[in-house]
Amino acid sequence: MRWALVGAGTLAGLYGVWLAVTRQEPAQLLEIGVWLIAGILAHDVLVTVLASILLLLVVRLLPMPWQAPAVVAVVVWGGVSLAVLPVLGRWGAQAANPTHLDRPYLASWLVITALVLLAVGLAGVVRSRRGDHSSRPADR
Amino acid sequence: MSIPAPADFTSRLRSPAVAARVGVWLGIAFGICFLTGLVSHYAQLPNQPVPFPTSPSWGYRLTQGLHVVTGVAAVSLLLVKLWTVYPLLFERLPAPRDVRPLVAALLERASIAVLVAAAVFQLATGLVNATRWYPWSQFSFRASHYAVAWIAIGALVVHIGVKLPIIRTALGADIDDTSQDRPGAGVASPLSRRALVRTSLGAAGVGVLATAGSAVPLLRRVSLFAVNSGTGPSGVPINKTAAQAGVIAAATSADYALAVVVDDQVVRSFTLADLRAMPQATETLPIACVEGWSASGDWTGVRMVDVLSAAGASEPGDVVVASLQDSGPFAKSILPANFVRDRRTLLALGLNGDALSIDHGSPCRLIAPNRPGVLQTKWVSRLEVST
Repeated sequence: MRWALVGAGTLAGLYGVWLAVTRQEPAQLLEIGVWLIAGILAHDVLVTVLASILLLLVVRLLPMPWQAPAVVAVVVWGGVSLAVLPVLGRWGAQAANPTHLDRPYLASWLVITALVLLAVGLAGVVRSRRGDHSSRPADR
Repeated sequence: MSIPAPADFTSRLRSPAVAARVGVWLGIAFGICFLTGLVSHYAQLPNQPVPFPTSPSWGYRLTQGLHVVTGVAAVSLLLVKLWTVYPLLFERLPAPRDVRPLVAALLERASIAVLVAAAVFQLATGLVNATRWYPWSQFSFRASHYAVAWIAIGALVVHIGVKLPIIRTALGADIDDTSQDRPGAGVASPLSRRALVRTSLGAAGVGVLATAGSAVPLLRRVSLFAVNSGTGPSGVPINKTAAQAGVIAAATSADYALAVVVDDQVVRSFTLADLRAMPQATETLPIACVEGWSASGDWTGVRMVDVLSAAGASEPGDVVVASLQDSGPFAKSILPANFVRDRRTLLALGLNGDALSIDHGSPCRLIAPNRPGVLQTKWVSRLEVST
C-alpha cells in the first residue's frame, strides 16, 4: 500500500514536471522556480515567524482567561486575512470595470478585526468570571 | 539568533495526533480542488476526445465554485497543519556514514519541500488569479497552475504513503494520545488539541463564508471579501468591458453583421434587425467564470441551431465563434457540436428583461449551458461552421 502510494504519487508529480517543461519556455520555468522557492521561504520564514510572535505575545502578555480566545482569534483571523489578502490589496482592480472588486474590503477587514478583538476581550471576561483557569501556557 | 532545534518547540499541540486530523481535512480540500481543476482544464480544451457534457447547465458553476471554495478553505488548514509539524524542519539528518538512512531522510525532506512549495504556489497563484491580479511577468497561469497541480497532488500522495503508519496510529488512537509525540513536546497550551482541530476547521469555514458569495447568491450579504457583489448591468457582473476589449466602435457600428461561414465561404450575414426578427427564446443559464464567480441570468435571443439552420447549415458540427475583439486568447472559441445542437445554446440579445448591454457582449453573445464563462464569447461577429 505504502509503495503503491509513493509510486503513484511520484508518477503524478513527474507528469506535472513534464507538463511544465513541455508547455513553458525556459524563462517561464525559471520564474515558476522562483515562485516555488519563494513560497517555501514565505511560509517557513515569514508567515511562521509572524504567527509564532503573535502566539508568543498571547501567552506571555495576556492573563490566562484571555489566552484561549486569543489563540482561536489568531488562527481564524490570521488564516482568513491571508486568504483574502489579494482582495484587501485590490491589486487586480480595473478602473474601467466597476463590477469587479467592488466592495469596501479594507473597511470591512478593519471592522472585523476590531470585532474580533472585542470578542476576545468579552470571552476573556466571561471566562475569568467563571474561574476558568484550567490550562497552562506553552512556551513555543 | 541561532537556528532552533526540535526540542525548542514544546507545545503539545505540535503532535502527529493533530497533524493527522487536520491533514485529513486538508487532503479532502486538496483532493476536491484538484479534481474540479481537472474538470475546468478539460472543459477549456479546444479539442476534447470525449465531448464535455452540456448538462446539467449548472455543472461547471458548481465545480468551479467548489474549486475556489476548497482553495480558500485550504489556506487555514495548510497553515495549521504546517505549524504542527514545523519542528521537524529542524531535525538533524542521520550521520553521513549511515548512507541508507541519510538518503531516505534526504528524499523525504525533498518530497516535503516539493509538497510545501507546490501547495503554496497553487494557493497563492489561484487566489490572486481569482482577483484578476497577475503579479508575474513570464509564466502562463493556466499552464503553470495545471502542471503544478499534478506536482502538488503527486507530492501529497507520496507524503501520505511515507507517513501512513504514523497517520494510521494517530487516527486510531485518542487525540490526546502522546505515544508518537516528540520528547519534550508536552507543555500544555491555552487550547486543547481537539479545540485546535475545530478552530482550524472553523477558520476554513469562515474563509469560505467570507468569499463564496460571488458564486452563492445566498451568501452575498455575508461574503464581505467576495471578488464582486453580484451586481452589474442587468444584475450580472462583468469580467471584461467593451472598452477593455477595444470593441466599442465595432459593436455600436450601424454596419454590424453576423457572418455565418461554411467551408470558408460566407453563406449568410445577419444584421441585428435580422436577428431580432427571428423567433426569440429565453433560457435561464449561469455565466460561470473560470475565476470562480458565477451568476444566473435569464438570457433572451435566437437559438444557435435556428441561426445556423437559417444559414443553410442544418447538420452543424463544431462551430468557431469569433468576436469583434481582434486579439487575446479568447477572441475565438470552439463550440463543440453537442453544444451547438443543444437547443438551450443562444446568441443572446437580452439579459434579465433588458437589451443586452455592450459590456455583456452586445450586439450578441454566446451563452451555452455548462460552459466556462471565458468561452462564452462576447460581441460575436462570425460563426465558422464545420459540417
